[in-house]
Amino acid sequence: MFDLINEIGQAMRNNKLRTGLTGFAVAWGIFMLIILLGLSHGLVSGFEKQSGKRDNNRIAVWQGSTSMPYKGYNKNRKITLKASTVEALNESGNKYIRKASASKNISAATVTGPEDYIASGVTGVTPETRRNQWVEMVKGRFINDADIEARSKVMVISRKTAKTLFGPDSANVVGKRVKSLDLSWKIVGVYSREWDEDEVFVPFSTAVALSGGDPQIWSIDVIVDNVSDEASADEAENALRTELAQIHKFDPEDCSATPMWNRFKNYLQNKTANKILDYAVWIIGIFTMLSGIVGVSNIMFVSVRERVHEIGIRRAIGAKRRNILTQIMLESVAITTIFGYIGIVMGTIAMQVLTVIFKNSENNPLADASVDISIAVKVTIVLIIAGALAGLIPALKATKVKPVEALRDE
Amino acid sequence: MIIRLKDINKTYPGVVPLHVLKDINLDIDRGELVAIMGASGSGKSTLLNILGILDNYDSGEYYLDYVLIKNLSENKAAELRNRMIGFVFQSFNLISYKNAIENVALPLFYQGVSRRQRNRLAMEQLERMGLADRAHHLPGELSGGQKQRVAIARALITNPSIILADEPTGALDSTTSRDVMQLFRQLNDDGMTIVIVTHDPNVGAATNRIIRISDGRIETPQPITV
Repeated sequence: MFDLINEIGQAMRNNKLRTGLTGFAVAWGIFMLIILLGLSHGLVSGFEKQSGKRDNNRIAVWQGSTSMPYKGYNKNRKITLKASTVEALNESGNKYIRKASASKNISAATVTGPEDYIASGVTGVTPETRRNQWVEMVKGRFINDADIEARSKVMVISRKTAKTLFGPDSANVVGKRVKSLDLSWKIVGVYSREWDEDEVFVPFSTAVALSGGDPQIWSIDVIVDNVSDEASADEAENALRTELAQIHKFDPEDCSATPMWNRFKNYLQNKTANKILDYAVWIIGIFTMLSGIVGVSNIMFVSVRERVHEIGIRRAIGAKRRNILTQIMLESVAITTIFGYIGIVMGTIAMQVLTVIFKNSENNPLADASVDISIAVKVTIVLIIAGALAGLIPALKATKVKPVEALRDE
Repeated sequence: MIIRLKDINKTYPGVVPLHVLKDINLDIDRGELVAIMGASGSGKSTLLNILGILDNYDSGEYYLDYVLIKNLSENKAAELRNRMIGFVFQSFNLISYKNAIENVALPLFYQGVSRRQRNRLAMEQLERMGLADRAHHLPGELSGGQKQRVAIARALITNPSIILADEPTGALDSTTSRDVMQLFRQLNDDGMTIVIVTHDPNVGAATNRIIRISDGRIETPQPITV
């Protein structure tokens, strides 16, 4: 093996310029492939990072109007979702419905602290809201099941709201009390969020009770069970609609009565799109590399042609066809792999530079762009195969050299 | 008999087929130093190619060291060339980017001999040729005579049955030619069978037997040595 490497090294040193130019073509192809793969990787991992923060097995339900008459009701009837709808769904025992939850906004509420007051209303929520709405707790806790059960008068506010209500000494507001809707509320947690820090969270049950009776709610969020693919996601959606149709008396086939957004299906579609993107990038990258590979094949043809005499000598002193074939193909693989690696290294450096430059910009695919080890391994395999293919035809040509060539004087 | 040719015929096909070797019968004993002489176009190169298992013949039989050389596969031919024949060429045919010791060791590379062993044997041969101090020189850094001695060292390294030399002095001046012929005589004295193809009468005169070939036939009947 060492001897073969030595042979290859000698052959390459013999033709520095040509080897260099061809090598550049290969390195450039690989460089572009790495950049493309890095960018698509960034895009995909960015998507996965975002979707990883939330549960994807969710279906959101809104209020709509019926489009079919049902049991004496006319069509175009408005469907009103109510707090009791959520309860009914949770008690349905349907195998697809793990947990239904909703939020109830009391927009008229003002919240008054010792320093100042805010008038952005309060929102009754369930523990699930924390994940679904990207709420990050800074201090204390979020609304929990016990709060819901007891209809506690507890509140979770943002850092920004804390500052407004308590002024300079807003560092330790957990446990302190504020006033809202003529009641005294205990602050149990402080949150932060990338957007909209005006929201004030209270327990859903408390908000429902304060609204009186069975208030209307705008949307219901259902966490579904037993979904794994698009078909089961559709089934879950239909099962949920059937339950809602029973509660609100509309045709189970009527899709416009309660419009839904199936996040799981959406997630699957995004995943498929990502896979297609990945394939597309590989195809583009490999075609970019192709010009480099053709270059290697070309250089090997020239090399074989120039070395007909040498190959003849080798054959005369006992080299078998197999020996010649191996040597030429390994030369080709060596050129492709060495310069390919230069391309990989340059590409990786370029991606690192881009990552550092775009580190601070949110939602930019470049912020997450990177080349991981599996890409490097895949690219290496591609390189070796490409090198072998590039060398194959020239190598076969080389084996056709007759040993008599050695006796012919140049 | 280390070489026995029986009724060898060779025709190059073409629009006008060229019958280059006509019923060649030739025996060469172990330990002989033989010259094959003839004008260009006489068929001596073709004969050399056949002797060297570089080319096929159409009819007849060729035994090399009691092995019938006929219709061999490419691989088998390469293997026999490697083990039984040492080639010396007019233009030396050293590989230009390999130094002397690597060139000498190359036939052993194709036998799968380890690098250490190869270099040791190659160094021995170079010492025998008086070129130990040139072992790491490239062919371009050697004189014609030195190159030919490196080539002879390469021919000897596999300990072959015969040495086949094709115009070994063709590219050398007269002094160096004499030295090389001296070397061949010396090897012959050590028991090596050597066949030299040449058109140089001086080279022929330095051998023990001259086989003349013209128009595809061996000219004079050969005395049979026992």
